[in-house]
Amino acid sequence: MRIAIRHQLSVTPPAGTANAVLQLLLTPQGGPTQSIESWSVEMAGIGNAGRFIDAYGNIAHLVNQSRPEGELVVTVKGVIETTDRHGVLGRIGGEPVPALYRRVTPLTKAPVALYGKYRNAKETRLDILHGLMARVGEALGVDAPGQSQMQADGGQSQGQGGVAKPLPPASDYAHSFVGGARALDIPARYVTGYLMGAEGGVAAFHAWAEAFDDGLGWIGFDPRLQICPTDRHVRLAAGLDGLSTQPLRLVPAEDGVRELEVSVAAA
Amino acid sequence: MAETAPFDEMYNADGSVREPYRALNAWLEEQPDKALTLMQSDAEAIFRKLGITFAVYGSEEGTEKVIPFDVIPRIIAAQEWRKLSKGIEQRVKALNAFLYDIYHRQEILKAGRIPEKLILQNAAFAPEMMGLEPAKGVYAHIIGVDIVRVGPDEYYVLEDNLRTPSGVSYMLEDREAMMQLAPDLFHRCKVAPVETYPENLRRTLESVAPAGAGQSPNIAVLTPGIYNSAYFEHSFLADQMGAQLCEGPDLFVDGGKVYMRTTTGPERVDVIYRRIDDDYLDPLTFRPDSMLGVPGLFNAYRAGNVTLVNAPGTGIADDKAVYTYVPEIVEFYLGEKALLSNVPTYNCTDEEQRNWVLANIADLVVKEVHGSGGYGMMVGPTSTKAMHAEFRRKIEARPDNYIVQPTLALSTCPTYVNAGVAPRHVDLRPYVLVGDRVRITPGGLTRVALKKGSLVVNSSQGGGTKDTWVLED
Repeated sequence: MRIAIRHQLSVTPPAGTANAVLQLLLTPQGGPTQSIESWSVEMAGIGNAGRFIDAYGNIAHLVNQSRPEGELVVTVKGVIETTDRHGVLGRIGGEPVPALYRRVTPLTKAPVALYGKYRNAKETRLDILHGLMARVGEALGVDAPGQSQMQADGGQSQGQGGVAKPLPPASDYAHSFVGGARALDIPARYVTGYLMGAEGGVAAFHAWAEAFDDGLGWIGFDPRLQICPTDRHVRLAAGLDGLSTQPLRLVPAEDGVRELEVSVAAA
Repeated sequence: MAETAPFDEMYNADGSVREPYRALNAWLEEQPDKALTLMQSDAEAIFRKLGITFAVYGSEEGTEKVIPFDVIPRIIAAQEWRKLSKGIEQRVKALNAFLYDIYHRQEILKAGRIPEKLILQNAAFAPEMMGLEPAKGVYAHIIGVDIVRVGPDEYYVLEDNLRTPSGVSYMLEDREAMMQLAPDLFHRCKVAPVETYPENLRRTLESVAPAGAGQSPNIAVLTPGIYNSAYFEHSFLADQMGAQLCEGPDLFVDGGKVYMRTTTGPERVDVIYRRIDDDYLDPLTFRPDSMLGVPGLFNAYRAGNVTLVNAPGTGIADDKAVYTYVPEIVEFYLGEKALLSNVPTYNCTDEEQRNWVLANIADLVVKEVHGSGGYGMMVGPTSTKAMHAEFRRKIEARPDNYIVQPTLALSTCPTYVNAGVAPRHVDLRPYVLVGDRVRITPGGLTRVALKKGSLVVNSSQGGGTKDTWVLED
């Protein structure tokens, strides 16, 4: 599927800042589930940005702004061709060893109730991971049937029962899943990206997880939607948790990053 | 172990003088009364003039103190040193190979030689370092290995100190003071020079500059500032090397490269000898509240535009829990048996070992896994019963936070104290530089516990230093 993305976000350095430094994790890479047709990251100073690969294999930009005035706006645009591989990414060159993703971080501490029943489970790793995804859904809540469910044909059914209590953000689901998997000694990582056709409390700038299976390699799990990522998921960056994959970081920081606009649509 | 007489480096058990100390002994015997007393007060004057002070954390009276210096040098024979330095070189090579592996393919974990959890869940492991290719594959460039001697031919490594070991300025100043105090003694003994250290440090740093840095790379020493206990050393080393001393705000990153603000405009920096802890290096990558670091510095490092010395994340190799695996590490990467021994270490998370430790705590040394500088430790034989009880409670509450070792009978050296010349316990911290090759300064810093019977040599705990002589053949 060809997907066009436009994402605009902004951040405001404190007044009087002499030198603002930004780190952007906003450049996707081609892989088994996606190829990059075009991509651009625009902001003042990007031409002189330092570009590097971070510890998790993501493309990062380091941008400087001398005496910034007011908010700094970053605009990301591109077209990605995606393929549905039922979440299976396999093994990708240039990535750190999967074992790294057994490291528990403060954001990925999961309660025993979440993963305890799988501790001595006889099931295959794949079955355990699907079970864990379901447990995360039970613990944090899932959309009521008929309420903005993703449909196989790509459209959405319309929510019928009105808006219920809002569910936690996708990052909570991803962190829980990653934490549960790591507690079971399964390497798991946090993934950021874009989701086409998001609705009903699911943001287009989305978060999910990937877990490692010795046979299949990396497999995606989207516990917020209770599915494996499809061709509607565009993968942006992966890391230990939401902190190491933040799309935009600023020093000195004052208020948080604001999402100005994000549109993800069939191209 | 504490009951047996410790090995004295000057006198044999029968009172005869050991070979390396003969010239010194003769010289000491020739000295008129009070000569040592005079030397000792001259030494203090020299150190005050040099301005060598250190800060004692939590001390009430002024923060700056002159570290006590003992006028009687410690002497190591040439063949003793050859053996020792061979063991040190082996160890630092293995530890650098370990760091490379841990931050790349982790073969040693896959081989099951070290428990994976011990590394991956360790606070000292820096995931941000994964896959980074440091210049020449070196992570720990500047190392101060703490060694104790317990017999004529028996040494133990206490700690490897791969994070920014301090004290090298004392080694240099001790030598300078000694040459002023007893120039005639240097005519009688052929002493290997230590003055080459700053030059060797400079060469080492230049050898690990990024590829594009050119013939004479620009080197900066990054200090947390004047309130740091080792600030004197930072400025001293920068001065000796002819490098710029700077603080975080003096540096900035632009276009992925690091620059220093100077009166004539920005100047590119290629190598940073940083004396700031990992956590504070770069608020964009590590602690966001750090005011000491340089935003973007770590990313410039990842991009290969600057070399950080030592690399972040080297602490995983000198972690007290990883320490017990160093002999394993030497064998795994070099295929050799470790030449230097580790101190046997008890693991308190193991119930059997813990029970034994709790029953025998009065004879043991307890150290905090992440402690340093002699803080948070207890030496059983010289501690009170209340202290024993306190540390028993601490170990029971957090067994993983402590390692326990037997009390070693550290060797003694003659030391000038109020009562005259008397034996005092010493340790040794040789300084090792790793770049295009391994450079070890002959000798190092000898720390001496000035209190009779004390085994704690840290300057923050009442220790002093001695000039350390390695004799040349």
